[in-house]
Parts: sequence; C-alpha cells; structure tokens
Amino acid sequence: MAVNYVVFFICALICLLGATGVVFSRNPVHAALSLVATLFGIAVLFVQQSAHFLAAVQVIVYTGAIVVLILFVMMLLGVDQEEDIDEEPLLGVRAAGTIVATILLLGLLAVFFLQSNRSTLVTGERSVTAPLSVDASLDSTKGVAETAGPDNMATLGRLLFTRYVFAFEVTAALLTIAVVGAVVLARRPDRLQPVPDEPESMDDDFMAALESEAGH
Amino acid sequence: MTSALLLAADPLYAQGVDLTALLITILKVVVAFAFLLVATMLMVWFERKLVSDMQNRIGPNRAGPWGILQTLADGTKLFFKEHINPIRAERRVYVLAPFLSFVPAFLLFCIVPVSGNWANGGDGTVELFGRTTYLQLADPPVGILFALAMSSIAVYGVMLAGWSSGSKYPLLGSVRASAQMVSYEAAMGLSVMAVVLVTGTVSTHGMVASQAGDGLFHVLPNWAVFTTLLVPFVIFVIAGTAELNRPPFDLVEAEQELVAGFNTEYSSIRFALFFLAEFMNTVTMSGIFVTLFLGGPSGPAPIGPAWLWGCIWFFLKTSAFLFMFVWFRATLPRFRYDQLMDLGWKLLIPLSLGWLLMLAAVQLSGQQNWNPVAVGAGVILMFLIGWSLLRSANAKARAVHLGEEVNA
Amino acid sequence: MSSYLPVLVLFVLAVAFGLLSLLVSITLSPKARSQAKEAPYECGIVPGREAPERFPVKFFLVAMIFIVFDIEIIFFFPWAVVFRELGGYGLAVIGIFAALVFESFVYLIGNGALEWGPRQRQRRAEIVSPDRTLTSTIRRVGAEGRPAALEPAALAPAAHHAPGHGDHGHGDHGAAA
Repeated sequence: MAVNYVVFFICALICLLGATGVVFSRNPVHAALSLVATLFGIAVLFVQQSAHFLAAVQVIVYTGAIVVLILFVMMLLGVDQEEDIDEEPLLGVRAAGTIVATILLLGLLAVFFLQSNRSTLVTGERSVTAPLSVDASLDSTKGVAETAGPDNMATLGRLLFTRYVFAFEVTAALLTIAVVGAVVLARRPDRLQPVPDEPESMDDDFMAALESEAGH
Repeated sequence: MTSALLLAADPLYAQGVDLTALLITILKVVVAFAFLLVATMLMVWFERKLVSDMQNRIGPNRAGPWGILQTLADGTKLFFKEHINPIRAERRVYVLAPFLSFVPAFLLFCIVPVSGNWANGGDGTVELFGRTTYLQLADPPVGILFALAMSSIAVYGVMLAGWSSGSKYPLLGSVRASAQMVSYEAAMGLSVMAVVLVTGTVSTHGMVASQAGDGLFHVLPNWAVFTTLLVPFVIFVIAGTAELNRPPFDLVEAEQELVAGFNTEYSSIRFALFFLAEFMNTVTMSGIFVTLFLGGPSGPAPIGPAWLWGCIWFFLKTSAFLFMFVWFRATLPRFRYDQLMDLGWKLLIPLSLGWLLMLAAVQLSGQQNWNPVAVGAGVILMFLIGWSLLRSANAKARAVHLGEEVNA
Repeated sequence: MSSYLPVLVLFVLAVAFGLLSLLVSITLSPKARSQAKEAPYECGIVPGREAPERFPVKFFLVAMIFIVFDIEIIFFFPWAVVFRELGGYGLAVIGIFAALVFESFVYLIGNGALEWGPRQRQRRAEIVSPDRTLTSTIRRVGAEGRPAALEPAALAPAAHHAPGHGDHGHGDHGAAA
C-alpha cells in the first residue's frame, strides 16, 4: 500500500535527521530536542505496526519523562552551553563508537537481506508485533481475531501478567535500584558549603547597617 | 455495554479511507477547530466577566454587547505589536516553543466526544452524509493515553520557552512549571486509571458508552464520579487544575516573584499563542473531566434529535467546570511551592494509588464472591501501613532537613 | 492507523494557523529595535546578575521519581483493562508491583528528596541580640532629617535600642507598643 511507504519514509527521515542532530548538535538542548524528534518518529512507526500501546509508551515515558529528566540535568549542571565537539572528551571513545556503530549497521543489513520478503518487512504490512497477539489468547474458546483485535492493550495485559510476570516484577526492582542510585548521586557532601544568593546575606547587610548607624 | 465496547474504533474508517471519509474528516476537523477558537475566545471573556462580577467590578463592557468581543479586540491588537527578539535568546528554540505549547492544546481536543446519539441505549454514532460516525474527532486505540501523551509534550513548550529566553525570571518560571506539571501528571494518570478500571476501556467513546446507562437504583446516572466513589474525581480535578497552571496552582506566573513566568520575554502573536494554548487547555480539560467522570455528552433526550441533546448536555456539563475554574481563581489564594509539592506527592499520589487498588479489590470481590469483611480488613490494613510508612519517612526527612541547618 | 487521520489533519491545520498568524503579524507589526527592548526583562532594572546556571538537585529527584511513577502508571493500564479476567492473581501481581514502587517512593521521601519547605535558620538566632524586638528592627527609609515629633514611633519607648536617632519603630509597631 502506497500510504505505508510514504508514512514509513517520512518517519524514517525524521528519525535519521533527529539521530544525526543528537550527534552533531553543538548545543546539548538542541541535541535533546533532536532526540525528541527521533523518538516521535519511532512512535509513529510503532503505530504503523499496530503497536498502539507501545507508541503511547514511547511518547509518554521517553519524550514525556526521560528527555525531561535529561533537560533537567542540563539545567541543573549548567551544561546547556555550546560544546566544542571537535575535541575528544575520553580517549578512544570515537574509535569504540565507530566500531559499535559499524557492527549495528551490519547486523541491521544482515536482517534486511536475509529476509525473504523484504518489502513487507520495511513497511509494516507484516507486523513485527503480530506474533505476540497470535498466541496471546488465555481463553482457548476465543479465536485469535477476537483477542488480537484493535484492542491490543488487553492482549498485552494478558501476556504481561501471565507469561512475562517475572520480568514485570523485576522491573519494579529495577526502578527501586534506579531511585536508590539517584538519591546516592544527589546526596549532598558532608561538608556543607554556604549556598549563594540566599536571603541570609540580606540579613547580614541589615545588621551591618544597623551597627554602622549605631556607631555615629 | 459490551456491544458498544466492541466497536473499538470510529466506524467511519471501518472500510478504509476513501474520499468521502476524508472529506467528512476534514469537515469535522474544521468545525472542531473553529469551535475551539470561538470557545477559547468566549472563555477568556467569560473568565474576565465572571471574576469582575465576583469582585464587584464591571469588567469588559466596550467591545460588542456585554464586552463579548473584548478577546477579539485584544487578539487583533496583538497582531500589530512588535516582535521582540531578546538579545540573549536562543533563536530557534525561542520561535519553536509557542508551537510546542499550542499544537498539543489543539490535538488534545481530538479525543473528547462532543455529542452523539446516546439517549435510549444509543451507541453514540450519528449519520453524516450517509456515513456512520462518532461526533468526536478521533478515537485512537490508546484512547485516554493520548491525552497523557499530549500533556507530556506540552511540558516542552513551557520548559523551552523559559530556557530559550535567556533571562532569569522565565527560566525560574519554566523550571518550576515543568516540575509542577510532571508532578501532577502522575496523580492524574493514576486517577484516570480508576475510570479505566470501572469502565473497562481506555477509549473515550467506550467510557461514555459505559457511563450512558442507568446507575445505582436507577436514580443516579452510571457516571464514573459515582462508580469510582468520588475520590479519583476530586484528585483529577485538583491535578488537572495544577496541570493547567491555573490558580491556585499558578506559581508559574506568580507575578510578585516571576513577572509573568515562562512567557515574560514573549511579545506580540507569539505571546498570543501561549495565551491561546492556556485557555484552550482549560476548555479541553473541562471536556475531559466531563468525558471521564460525568458521562460526556450522554443524557436524556426528551424531544428532538438526540445528537442535539448530546451537544446541550456536553455544553452544560463543560460550562459547570469552566465556572468552577473561574471560581477557584476568584476565591483561592496561591499555593506556596513546598505546599504544592507536598500536596501532589505526599497526598494525591499515594491516595490515588491506594484508592485504585481498593477499587480493584472491591470490584473483584463482587465478581468472585470474596468475603467482604476480609476485603475490607485488607483495604484498611493497606491504607494504614501505607500511611504510617509515609508518615515516618516524612518525619525522618523533616528532622534531617532541619538538623543539617543546625550544623551549617 | 486510519483512526489517527483526524489527528494528522488537525495537526496540519493547527501548525498552518500558527505559521499564518505569525506571518501576518510579522508583516503588520512595527519594527523599532532598540537595545533596551531586547535586553532581558527585569522590570526596568538593568540586568545585573546572570540567569542562574544551576538549580537545586531536588528538581532532578522530582524528575527521577516521576519516571518511576510514569512507568508504573504505564504498566497499570494494561492491567486495568484486563483485571476482571485476571482476578485475584492479577490483583496480587499488581499489588506486589505497587508495593515495590511505593517502597522506593517512601525511601525517596525519607531521604528528603521532596522536602521543599522553608528552612529554619539556626544561625539567625545567634546573630540576633536578645534586646532586638519588633519595634527596634524595622528599618526606616527616608527617615533622616525629619523631625522626630512627627513620628508616632517617637512616642514609643526607645529603650531597646538606645543609639537610634528616630530610625526605628514603624508607625504600626509604635502604635502597638
């Protein structure tokens, strides 16, 4: 179907441009915004694969929470300035990145060329998520069509809370670890430094003024 | 109920998209677009007029009858105002930010059912140029999650507007605003979940369908505000008000501290876009309140076409919430930031989480004939444990917080 | 996918509306640039300090805990749709999950991640001399050179802060004293 191709290529373009922007932006906030574009493109691709819930998750969790966290960290640390991307922050990072990127590219190409039916793989006519919904039926009396209909959130729920329930509970543990990590990282050092720009300085000024007035 | 729920998507697109369907879609979108703009315009006027009534003033009374065209005059004026580009601004993001704010405001309206044939067991569809369709713009499979997604994108508009202005008050305002918006988004999501729990669907159309019938003793309507036992509704209204940055949660633009908050450096039509987004969100949020908790456009249709009654019910219910928003503004003083955070995190989120589990337990106990005493005891135990844990954690944090200062 | 068609149409319409009004406004509006106009707005005061570069770490923790709750909410949705099918088992599963998340939430609160309250300053108590009272600590502006007889504060006993020449005690407090 022609519409599928059009949607796919537009979204692919958005994703790729966004990804390039993440790497080449000199300003970290621009990079974060490019990341949002990429994530949004991926969300539309999910919709194209009839993975509606995943698309919503992509937008709500990734763009709505994780990139917001990234932006917060930028504002927090004051790193929202232009960076000189010509100098390498860590030795060997570029080389390692190139190697990993090449391996990933080769893997993707291998998947693409080893498929017998390439066009449907690309456009989503053969949905990647379809196998999930086929054997998702808990109730064997119901047909596949009934359970795997447009309401794939129910399908996902059935699978998530039966077959993948262990992974689901482990996710909660993972979140706990993340929270502990965040608290440890954000903990203040024992040696407390005076916080600048606090109202106490005004109080000091005031006392000084009082004393000088008292002097004459 | 189930027959309506099986219709998971707008029947307009059941046989694919042909030219007629496309034209009907465009027609619906244009009508909704115009409706939104007019509604926003009237909302601004309504707010100014009502607040002035409550404060014993006259309010706008020059442009048009009762000053009803005042917003139009103000909007037209803004077209002729100079575009100021602050010298410290990050140009590209500065121009982009108003769009990130007002486009989601438009899109949010897509999922609100405005009308439909709901009376006497109708399934909410109407005939339009020989096609059966819903009187709502879109009913995507993710339903109400779409609203959460849009509100999470709207955070960017506020955040980036403040950051890109290169000025301190907008920056402070935007950091405050985005922390506030994400804080209340969690409470909002949890209270929406209660509605999903009792209606059994995420689709807004399905939610209205399941609320359209008779409820308790055939006296009360089957609205989610009753079936979720009121608390999620209250939490959602509070969280929604905070999400809109409206009084009493308008710390974002606390004028004594932050001039005008994140949009201080914006002038002319760029400011108008923020302003538009703010009031459009107010209208849409009222529509979402109605859809989720008050049965949307459903209601009796004694005489005449049912879709017209749907419009009337929707208008009346939405207006009630719009009135409430203005009433809040005229009555309640602004929260302090720590009070705002405490209310959101330490009260609303734990409460809505507990309430959700309680609702599920109650629903399941009815279905599976569990012992009501055991369920009740379990629920009370859960609330008690949660409450005492939170209390002790809070007390410890408070002690540490104050103790540190002694050493300083 | 077709159910997103109206969203797309509305998106195009909204963006077009925004761009068009921007364009119209740029054409119609006057252009009179000046340095003062383009400086950061600080209510007429010439901007002195830079915008803050760093924010309290609490904002980071709020965003962090928000991610945790966001993910929890996302997992709740599929459960809420099918919880009748899953029955007591599903309730137990989601109960454990919710308890784990709640526990990390309590941990965060216990570590003061959500303490925004005003801080009691112990230091202030050391600075303040014991004979400093309400009447003696209010600073007067523009009190110099004015006859003390006009001051209602002058009638109040000035015993607390002897050297002050009529520069303490605002009208209200003087009356109260």
